Amino acid sequence: MQFPIYQVPYLGNGMTIALDAVLHVVISHGFAIGVFSLIVLGEYLGWRKPSEAWESFAHDLLRITVVITTGIGAITGVGIWFLTSALEPRGIGSLLRIFFWPWFVEWFAFTGEVIAILIYYYTWTSWIGERKPRHIQTGAICLAFAVASAFLITGILGFMLTPDGWPWNKSLWWAFFNPTFLSQLLLRLSGAAAMGGIFATGYLLFAAREESFRREALRLFGRVVLWGTLATGACAGWYFAVVPSRYKAQAVFSVLTSALSQHPELFWIGNGVAVALILLLGRAATRGAMPLARALALPAALLAVACVGEFERVREFIRGPYVMPGYMYANQVLLDEKPLFEREGLLRSSFWYSAASGRQGVASGGRYLFGQNCSVCHTIGGINDIVQRVRGRSEDGIAAIIAHTHEMVSFMPPFSGTVEERRLLARYLYQAATGGIAVGVPSRFVAGGAEGTK
Amino acid sequence: MNTLFDVVLGRPLPLGVIRGLLFGTFALHMLLALITLGTAILGMVYVARSGWGGKAGERPWAKGILHTLLGYKSLAVVLGVAPLLLIQVGFPVPFFTAVNLFAPYWMLVIPFLIAAFLTLDFVAANTKARPHLRLALGTIGLALLLAVPGIFVAILTATEYSGAWLEIIQRGYRLPGPLAYHWLFRYLHVIGASVVFGAAVHYFATPEGEHERRRSLLRWMLGGLLVQIVLGLLLYLSVPARPGTVANFSLALSVIGVVVLFWRLSRPLPPSLISAVSLLLVILIPMLLARQALQDRAILPLHEKLEGNAARYRTALRPFAAQGLWQYLQTLETVYDSGQTIYVQSCAFCHGQQADGKGVEAANLTVPPEVLGAVRAHRAYFRDRLREGVPGSGMPYFTVYTRGQVDDLVSSLDRTYHRRYTLTPQRMLEVITAGYPGTAMPAFASLGSDLRRGLVEYAGSLYEGQPRR
Repeated sequence: MQFPIYQVPYLGNGMTIALDAVLHVVISHGFAIGVFSLIVLGEYLGWRKPSEAWESFAHDLLRITVVITTGIGAITGVGIWFLTSALEPRGIGSLLRIFFWPWFVEWFAFTGEVIAILIYYYTWTSWIGERKPRHIQTGAICLAFAVASAFLITGILGFMLTPDGWPWNKSLWWAFFNPTFLSQLLLRLSGAAAMGGIFATGYLLFAAREESFRREALRLFGRVVLWGTLATGACAGWYFAVVPSRYKAQAVFSVLTSALSQHPELFWIGNGVAVALILLLGRAATRGAMPLARALALPAALLAVACVGEFERVREFIRGPYVMPGYMYANQVLLDEKPLFEREGLLRSSFWYSAASGRQGVASGGRYLFGQNCSVCHTIGGINDIVQRVRGRSEDGIAAIIAHTHEMVSFMPPFSGTVEERRLLARYLYQAATGGIAVGVPSRFVAGGAEGTK
Repeated sequence: MNTLFDVVLGRPLPLGVIRGLLFGTFALHMLLALITLGTAILGMVYVARSGWGGKAGERPWAKGILHTLLGYKSLAVVLGVAPLLLIQVGFPVPFFTAVNLFAPYWMLVIPFLIAAFLTLDFVAANTKARPHLRLALGTIGLALLLAVPGIFVAILTATEYSGAWLEIIQRGYRLPGPLAYHWLFRYLHVIGASVVFGAAVHYFATPEGEHERRRSLLRWMLGGLLVQIVLGLLLYLSVPARPGTVANFSLALSVIGVVVLFWRLSRPLPPSLISAVSLLLVILIPMLLARQALQDRAILPLHEKLEGNAARYRTALRPFAAQGLWQYLQTLETVYDSGQTIYVQSCAFCHGQQADGKGVEAANLTVPPEVLGAVRAHRAYFRDRLREGVPGSGMPYFTVYTRGQVDDLVSSLDRTYHRRYTLTPQRMLEVITAGYPGTAMPAFASLGSDLRRGLVEYAGSLYEGQPRR
């Protein structure tokens, strides 16, 4: 194949990207849009009423938000890109070629957002009096850039689940304004509002503030939590109504995994409890029930983060065998390439295998075939360990399973390679599971001996 | 390299336009990145001096410098997006390969930057914190921040010298000898430049009345320029490919800029803001032009080859395009929401479409697939087999489906087969006689025929008494 293969040991590639991505979504949605909109609103209320309490609260919240968004949010955002560049280069390389222009415009939106937030932050104490409305407008401009950024990225994310007619016509417009685009955008914006309300409520409850102001602000934030959560639920319903049935059938499993798949009630109970507690926080805040709100603030914030993780997990997982449906499988093999590899052989077609020295035997070929076909999801010795998955199976049984992975398990891509290569991979996995060969915890899948084995 | 090829999807822009945009956006990013690094270095130097050995008047200097870090670093990060996008769109194979060859280091950039920015923001915002704490946190932050350009330089070096790729992968994340020296001087040159640019920015941001601070920053600029001359010479000598005319001309221009700036800074009356900025740009832009020229000489021939290979590869794939799309449509239309679909997709290739054990893979299995249509068992037995698989055979576990899906599959089997087929006495006799390969069930052929038939009769009578679950 085109690129050498690297896998993060133990954690696996998917989990590594997910950890970074979830943190980024929480910050880019919850803080950069949700909390930031409440800061601008707070500043506006402070100027309009006028109220020193609102002004100072908004300023304090801004200090924290700027550090979090510029110090963590921006880096984890670029981080998703960094990680995919190293771990899924073919996927990101192809996406960039399709979505170059939205990505390029996104650079302007991102730059505009950062410049606006820096102006907003550095001029808080100097743009006062008559200049205050301009300062508030700067905050609103920053918010507009953040929403534009969400707009542009959602088009790309939606494409990765529902590419619509793109596989046939290769039209950017079809790809960008795909069936899940609008519902997902509104879902993200309403989720951002709900998260912003939860985070701002948490800060308000535990920061030193005058009591009457706290009650007044709490009522406002509580309403944001309530309406934001309800809107998120409605948009989630719309979003999943548009998702193809094939993918929806995998949604519950994507959350529970093999470990809990036989207890599907946990999915509904978990989500029900999360939504109920968040709504309860909103209700407690609007009614000024301070002790209850304090007790619920941290659990609600953690559950909101968990809901973000759950949504992103479902979205990424249910597209199943594809990373770009209709074009590329999750293991970065093109749909058109599979029959080619069946005829020509994957090992022979791979520069990084055929050019390396010491390529012979089960360990070398099997490891490379595993790396190319399976390592996007499975590790050896870590999360979703393939050795555990095949343990107890006979070698011919493994070979039969590999021939039908994409039929047997709806979210797995097919094996790419010749019949002999399939048998070679089966032998490698069987020997790995039975201790016939020492596999260690590989991170680099290259030919030759034990290189890349940690 | 002969079999490597460019990304199969075509480029959205001509390569010349991408290269032009790449140069412009990279120059902008480098300017902010150098100022960010320089600000962090100088800020921490003054933090250290304000606690240990410096003059009392120096204390506010660190605050004044570090306070600006939040802005510079935010701009440096955001301005880095465009060159990253452009190099990945223009030269995906060399760049992604280099990234992959140094993947662990490349990924460390994220935690390094987060930790560096948070610690340095803390040092900037908490001027009244304990000096030891500020120094310790700031030093950690600075060290992490300084590691980042080292990683980027390694990636760019590997991007440019594809001849070393196989050696790098065999050596395990290390550049081979001559490239390692090149990397070292290139990295130090970036750090040196950051001191010069950082000092220059803060020199002109310092009010003219603050003579001491200005003099101190001026010394950093002069010292930085001297070091850069030495490092520049070493870097030039370490370049693996012979620099062409454009690179040499650009470097000469940059050196002249350095000399003139040094001369102007050494005079009693320092240069004005405009002339200093002009000279700094005369140094930076030709330097980046030289870098670009060297990179182009290394990458463009390879890229041409990759594009040619990609065109041939597209032609090779064309006959399979319709098949791939047809497969995609079939996949979308197959919804795993009923037991019947799951059986056809997940079970039939071994157990057969008619549950007769004659699936397409049956002949390849030493332990034959069970004739499911002939098995009479409780639902719990089926569920357990589906949840756990059958060790020693090819039968895997099916917890990849939820309980509802598993139950649906069992119900589907019940409906379709169990009312039509039973575990016949003939089948029982076969199992007792020949055993059940792959399980603990041995063959009892040595028992007399009457005894085996009697066992079949007895087992059948036991089964009839069992209630169905």
